[in-house]
Amino acid sequence: MGKTAELLPGTLDMLILKAVSLKPLHGYGVLLRIQQISGDALEIPQGSLYPALYRLEHQELISAEWGVSDNNRRAKYYTLTGAGRRRLRKETEGWNRLASAITLALNTTPEEV
Amino acid sequence: MLKQIRSFFRVLKSRDDFERGMSEELRFHVDQYMADLIRAGVPPPEAARRARIEFGSLNSTQEECREARGLQPFDELRRQLRHAGRTLRKTPRFTATALLTLAVCLGANLTIFAVVNSILLRPLPFPAPDRLVTVFNTYPKAGVLRDGSSTTNYYERRGQIPAFSDLAIYSEGAAIVGETGATERVPLMRVSPEFFSTLGANPVMGRSFTDAEMAIPPSRVVILSDSYWRRSFNADPRVLGRQVQVAGVANTVVGVLPPGFRFLSSEARLYFPFASRPEDRVSRERHSGGNSKHIIARLKPGATLAQAQAQIDAQNNTLERDDPKAKMLSDAGFRSVVVPLRADHVASIRPTLLWMQGGALALLLIGAVNLANLLLIRASGRIKELAVRQALGASRWHVVSEVAVETTLLTLAGGFLGLAGGWAGIRLLGTLGAERLPLGTDIAFDARLAMVAVVGSVILGIALALPIAWFNLSAHLAGAIQSETRGGTSGRMSQRLRHGFIVAQIAMALVLLEGAGLLGLSLKQAMAVSPGFRPDHVLTGQILLPPNQYPDWPARLAFNERLLAEISRQPGVTAVGAVNNVPLSGNNGKSAATVKGYVRPPGETLRGHYSYGMDGNYFAAMGFSLLEGRFLSADDSQRGDRVCVVDEDFARFYWPHASALGQRLFEGSDETKDVDAFTVVGVVGAVKQAGLTDDAAQGAIYYPYALRTDASLFVVLRTSLPPESVGPALQTIVRQTGRDATMTDVRSMETRISDSLITRRAPALLATLFSAIALLLTAIGTYGILSYAVAQRRREIGVRMALGARPQQIRGQFLALGLRLLAAGTMLGVAGAWVTGRAMRNLLFHVPPFHVATLAGTACIIGLVSLVACLVPAHQAACISPTEALADE
Repeated sequence: MGKTAELLPGTLDMLILKAVSLKPLHGYGVLLRIQQISGDALEIPQGSLYPALYRLEHQELISAEWGVSDNNRRAKYYTLTGAGRRRLRKETEGWNRLASAITLALNTTPEEV
Repeated sequence: MLKQIRSFFRVLKSRDDFERGMSEELRFHVDQYMADLIRAGVPPPEAARRARIEFGSLNSTQEECREARGLQPFDELRRQLRHAGRTLRKTPRFTATALLTLAVCLGANLTIFAVVNSILLRPLPFPAPDRLVTVFNTYPKAGVLRDGSSTTNYYERRGQIPAFSDLAIYSEGAAIVGETGATERVPLMRVSPEFFSTLGANPVMGRSFTDAEMAIPPSRVVILSDSYWRRSFNADPRVLGRQVQVAGVANTVVGVLPPGFRFLSSEARLYFPFASRPEDRVSRERHSGGNSKHIIARLKPGATLAQAQAQIDAQNNTLERDDPKAKMLSDAGFRSVVVPLRADHVASIRPTLLWMQGGALALLLIGAVNLANLLLIRASGRIKELAVRQALGASRWHVVSEVAVETTLLTLAGGFLGLAGGWAGIRLLGTLGAERLPLGTDIAFDARLAMVAVVGSVILGIALALPIAWFNLSAHLAGAIQSETRGGTSGRMSQRLRHGFIVAQIAMALVLLEGAGLLGLSLKQAMAVSPGFRPDHVLTGQILLPPNQYPDWPARLAFNERLLAEISRQPGVTAVGAVNNVPLSGNNGKSAATVKGYVRPPGETLRGHYSYGMDGNYFAAMGFSLLEGRFLSADDSQRGDRVCVVDEDFARFYWPHASALGQRLFEGSDETKDVDAFTVVGVVGAVKQAGLTDDAAQGAIYYPYALRTDASLFVVLRTSLPPESVGPALQTIVRQTGRDATMTDVRSMETRISDSLITRRAPALLATLFSAIALLLTAIGTYGILSYAVAQRRREIGVRMALGARPQQIRGQFLALGLRLLAAGTMLGVAGAWVTGRAMRNLLFHVPPFHVATLAGTACIIGLVSLVACLVPAHQAACISPTEALADE
């Protein structure tokens, strides 16, 4: 595995919402999808994924349904709910604002002060 | 928040599914990862190992998932419930005692509450029932507290009182209904057109009456109750226009009432127009209520009772201005009173019910104190275990919640048993005659009762947890762990708490017992009252004659004559008579009479007197005593002589220094022509007319039946046989003698007397039952606490005995403790009994609220029982063997 970044606190929920928003996924699928869309740059502790999924389900941001996996096993598939979609949009906006602000701050040169 | 709760309950509904799903999901993840690793070339055993390591601890993940779903409090509760269940099962004797105590105490409370709920709390089955009122006339200074309302009142008030949106008048009665030969007596009501709209329950089919139908001759229309429609018309949807034979005359059905329609305690199944003649509606008839006609009204939204009262008063004042009797009316204290309908209907029984509930609550309190003491003792026994657990990190919240869960589990189980007890109690009340109370037939086991049981149990459980939790938290834990005994030290505070509980318990038991004693004594006093006649061997029954068969007075008198003659021929019958009302019938009205030549002294008002019309040998049959002159006889009735008999109260009031014989009096409030005067030919002993406990000497007049206009008829016979056994024969005679005559309410006079005491007997019985239970609980409580004290100090006693203390000293020490508690409890109880006795003065009859003899007896009983409860443990203490006690532990 290449260089990976530590996950910032609070960002796991956002990433799960994003992953699920693309396509209904089971828990393991969420893990793979986050790794894939982050370019394998993010390390997700496997054990912490499920409490996060359950928390989001409890908040009705995602909903779960049993389905059949590619290799014909019963698996729990998560989909984004309406509330989840709204939350994702808000979090994305918030993140973008934060990220650009921090980028701006970090790119400041002495001449600009 | 709502979402979380929804999600929480979704999971709760299928908790096992949740667990299974979670395991499956996590397993799937690990398996998939392993498969991916193998696909990437990792050897299978190594892949399995890595998958498991990288996933981390399955257990803690699962725990975190549960937490994420908000399941932890629920799991914790389940754990604590299981734990509580286990500990309760481990001490079956304690658990059984506690449950039995709770079942009895809660059962008693729920039984009484069922009555309170049905009679005092449950709203009347009409829309906005709290806006319904009744208006009645009262003449308190004439001794007539309640006289209903008159037809005139109704016509004068209708639409004239702005605070009322509707106003109606009604009277109750019964009629013989059905085709000749297949008739039955049906309770009915006569109502004015707005009666149903006032109540807010209009006919579901057809219409109410019209003003035109209020005239006489009657218009022969009828409205059916739902039950009558179902039973007699098979719920025919086209019943309107069909006929009901009432007293042999066809009446047309114009309406059917909604199902469940019931006006207060009325059992009416047919409703007729409240018909009257124009001359019944004039001002002269304004005060002829006679307590048989009643007005109800509905307050307009926003209008208050006080406004309605003010408007009624104002109208009365205006009307009285032109009334020639205005002076007399104001002397009599005349007023028309507006009162809430329901409160008025149940007013007579309300204080008794509330006191009963108070007694039941006192019982519950005694039981709860017992339980608290038992629990405290148990907690002392577990103090060491608790100390260890707290030392190992159990939080204070955990300690408190564990206690609360245990006590609540206990009280909830007790509450369910109590519901069963309440169910049985309601049955018991039925046999005591509770359905004779106003609204008494509605006493039932309903959802509110179940809810009160559950909520009450939970509250009780939490209340019981408080002292235990306090004890657990304040206990000196370090000391407890170090202490060598298993139980540990219990501390002075908890000992004081336990002793305080015992004192309170003894005091409450004493108050309860004293209350029961006062009620019982009142009942005894009431039963000892002589009714003024000889009630033994007397049978009575009410006869209803259909007006079509007996249209006029001579026909009715002829019936009386034939009936009385027929009955007197029966074996065993020694005397038989007829009267239009018997004493203690519960409906004894008073009317005015004027004594010729009597000048009312200033300040004295017109008096209402009980007035009867009688035929045959009524006085002898009822066993009246003759003081002067002669009884009236059947001959007086037949001849229509204007003679009468008065009772001693009447005679003493009007002629305190002269003989009543030969004096003359007039019916009504005016002296009229001499030819209308009645001559007094006899004086009989006074009779308790309205009830045995009625102390007012109001006076009574007995007229010949022929000269009265009141058509109601009771037959009264004296027999040498057991009176109830004559009932069937009497029924047969009535049926054979009269065409379509029916007889109801057949009871011996002794039964009537005993029935009239139901509001005294049932409370006295229940209070006695409550106090017996309270006594038992107190004994158990005192015994439990003292024997615990002995057990706890076993070692100390052993040491002292080894050092030479005599058993008597040991025994004396514990007896002294018991006696100290008893003395304190008794003193507190006497004070409580004094307060309670004064507060329940209105329920007592010829018994002072602070009855020294009862109180002394009560204190003796409590003392004796407590003493026995102390003696046993004190004796046990004295019998402790020093060697065994010291060898223990």
